[in-house]
Amino acid sequence: MARKTHTATAVAIGLGIALAATGCAGGGSAGGSGGGASGGKVTLTVWENATPGPGAEYWRQAAKEYHALHPNVTIKIQLVQNEDFDGKLQTALNSNSAPDIFMQRGGGKMQAMVDAGQIQPLDLTATDRANAGAAALAGNSIDGKVYAMPTDTQPEGVYYSKDLFKKAGIASTPTSMDALEADVAKLKAINVAPIAVGAKDAWPAAHWYFNLALRECSRDTMQQTAKSLKFTDPCWTKAGEDLASFLKTSPFQKGFLTTSSQQGAGSSAGMLANHRAAMELMGNWDPGVIASLTPNQKPLPDLGWFPFPAVPGGQGDPTAIMGGGGGYSLSKNAPKEAFGFLEFLVTKGQQEAYAKDFYTIPVNKDAQAVVTDSYNISALQAFNKAAYTMQFLDTEYGQNAGNAMNTAVVNLMAGKGTAADIVKDTNAAAAKG
Amino acid sequence: MRLEIAVMSGPAILMFLAFVIFPVALAAYYGFYRWHGYGPPTDWTGLNNYRLILTDPAFQQVLEHNALILVLSLVIQGPVAIVLALLLNQKIRGRSLIRVLIFVPYIISEVIVGTGWSLILQRGGAFNDLLQHIGLGSLQADWLADSKLALWTLMALISWKYIGFAVILMLAGLQSIPDELFEAAQLDGASYWQIQRRITLPLLGPTIRIWAFLSIIGSLQLFDLVYIIWGQYVSGTAGTSTMAIYMVSQGRDAGNYGYGSAVAVVMFLISLVVALLYQRFVLRRDLRGAVTEGAAR
Repeated sequence: MARKTHTATAVAIGLGIALAATGCAGGGSAGGSGGGASGGKVTLTVWENATPGPGAEYWRQAAKEYHALHPNVTIKIQLVQNEDFDGKLQTALNSNSAPDIFMQRGGGKMQAMVDAGQIQPLDLTATDRANAGAAALAGNSIDGKVYAMPTDTQPEGVYYSKDLFKKAGIASTPTSMDALEADVAKLKAINVAPIAVGAKDAWPAAHWYFNLALRECSRDTMQQTAKSLKFTDPCWTKAGEDLASFLKTSPFQKGFLTTSSQQGAGSSAGMLANHRAAMELMGNWDPGVIASLTPNQKPLPDLGWFPFPAVPGGQGDPTAIMGGGGGYSLSKNAPKEAFGFLEFLVTKGQQEAYAKDFYTIPVNKDAQAVVTDSYNISALQAFNKAAYTMQFLDTEYGQNAGNAMNTAVVNLMAGKGTAADIVKDTNAAAAKG
Repeated sequence: MRLEIAVMSGPAILMFLAFVIFPVALAAYYGFYRWHGYGPPTDWTGLNNYRLILTDPAFQQVLEHNALILVLSLVIQGPVAIVLALLLNQKIRGRSLIRVLIFVPYIISEVIVGTGWSLILQRGGAFNDLLQHIGLGSLQADWLADSKLALWTLMALISWKYIGFAVILMLAGLQSIPDELFEAAQLDGASYWQIQRRITLPLLGPTIRIWAFLSIIGSLQLFDLVYIIWGQYVSGTAGTSTMAIYMVSQGRDAGNYGYGSAVAVVMFLISLVVALLYQRFVLRRDLRGAVTEGAAR
């Protein structure tokens, strides 16, 4: 008996290791074996994370249209569930069965792929550059080379319920942290949670710290830190102190530590969808998530957006915007036809369709006329006005430092850590990575 | 004869090598590298990962949690399970139904149990509502996030979930005790308590020791319930994180696969040492005769 359970121990640990080491078993379909072959018939595989629905339909349609223009190129779209995506991709890349084209999350993950020689730099034409826009391309570059074709911009800001703001007597959206705190008090008076945050997932809570750091730290500091991974500038601690003092006003819903961000009516997005909370700090995927959680599963009609408020005395530009913006990368063996499809994705017509199907803001400026939702218009205006954009910090500074930073922010919000601990823990994590 | 052995056991041995021995060896190998999981590992760091693990206060913290969960599991579940088994071993009305009710939580998947209880116990959940309605509103609490309560909430859930398994084991153990022993004791005029103390408990010993072993190993590897209810971030602040949670958060979530593999190896070694010591010192008597050694009869 003892021996048997001992074996069970080994099995459990062994499987755990196997899963941890390789990600989930990757069922990569064959592709990319062409090794740069061109001419003749080519079949390309594309991995992306759209959920079934309009997003998935967009990809099928794009593949069909591209095939009509280039009959020798057949494109196979494969939907991979978001949470499974990274593990599967990692396995596929390591075992040389990578898809030709795949969704790229950018930041430290992209850096790791570049270091391992697993993806190709993109040789963009002037037209491609004009289509994608300089800002979005900059976000997908490493040492001056572009490694992913961007498709949309993800300016982060505060999504809010216009109805609840009106009910609480808030005339205009807050532009400073002081104004935000005053609005928090007004919203409490009408018995709704002022701000929802899904701290169980850590990153939604950490984004409050990211945005405060964006306001406290200068652009130079943030960029240099990405190289050195040493969080020595006092602005990093100041951002944590700002968060601690904001927390004193109890702006978040009760029990926010065990609230997840996107699953079900009790999640932070669900609270906004059901008018139980007035605000949520999120990226541009939020309206779609909220729409799926409203009682009738339709977009929330009174959803608005405003940029993260200014912090008095901060070194960062008050118009700067935090935002992701991944794109699509080519694996190292992808044939050159694959690049043609990436170029096709940022053309005006494709960008318009993409923006409609994903409720998002396209990178191609000519296609931005299709943006009509009021929250997207606000976000687009702020984005076009922004002095600069900064990638989400847990992406910008790599998974390792990012994960430590996210955990430390949750600790602070749970009352178990200080602003100084965020800096200390993040610095310590660099030693492990 | 030899061919038969090879044919019959070959596939099982291959599976075991592929899915147990190979991953363990692979983890031991990765544990020596600083590796982010892209491309083959190249950055050899020797024992550095192990040095970092053993000096990380977060690891000491999860070790303490594991130890506490281990001790509390034994102390809480053992006596309760024995008492329940003694009660259920008697001919009482609705015995089968009660047995089923006690056993049901054990067979429900951890995901369902975790999701269900986290909805019930969260700040605005059903349990706090219930307290409010029965006039115990002052007892309302944040059962999951409050670090003073979270570990006890976890222990309550673990006990609720796993006690059924202990009871079934103990019942089986009780049934293997020959009735004659009780009859003889009764004829000699032994009281109920004397019988339980002098006959039942000693003869139930092997069962209790095996159950304790399973409970210890389970406590050392506790992962799913904590991961589902708290997640890897909040479990740290709530005081419910475990070694396995640490492994996943440091390995997969931070992208440090080398470091995570080293954590897995440490976990493996701890479990192995505990298992061997337990077998050597606690189970020795129970195993005598069960394990054949050479030609010994």
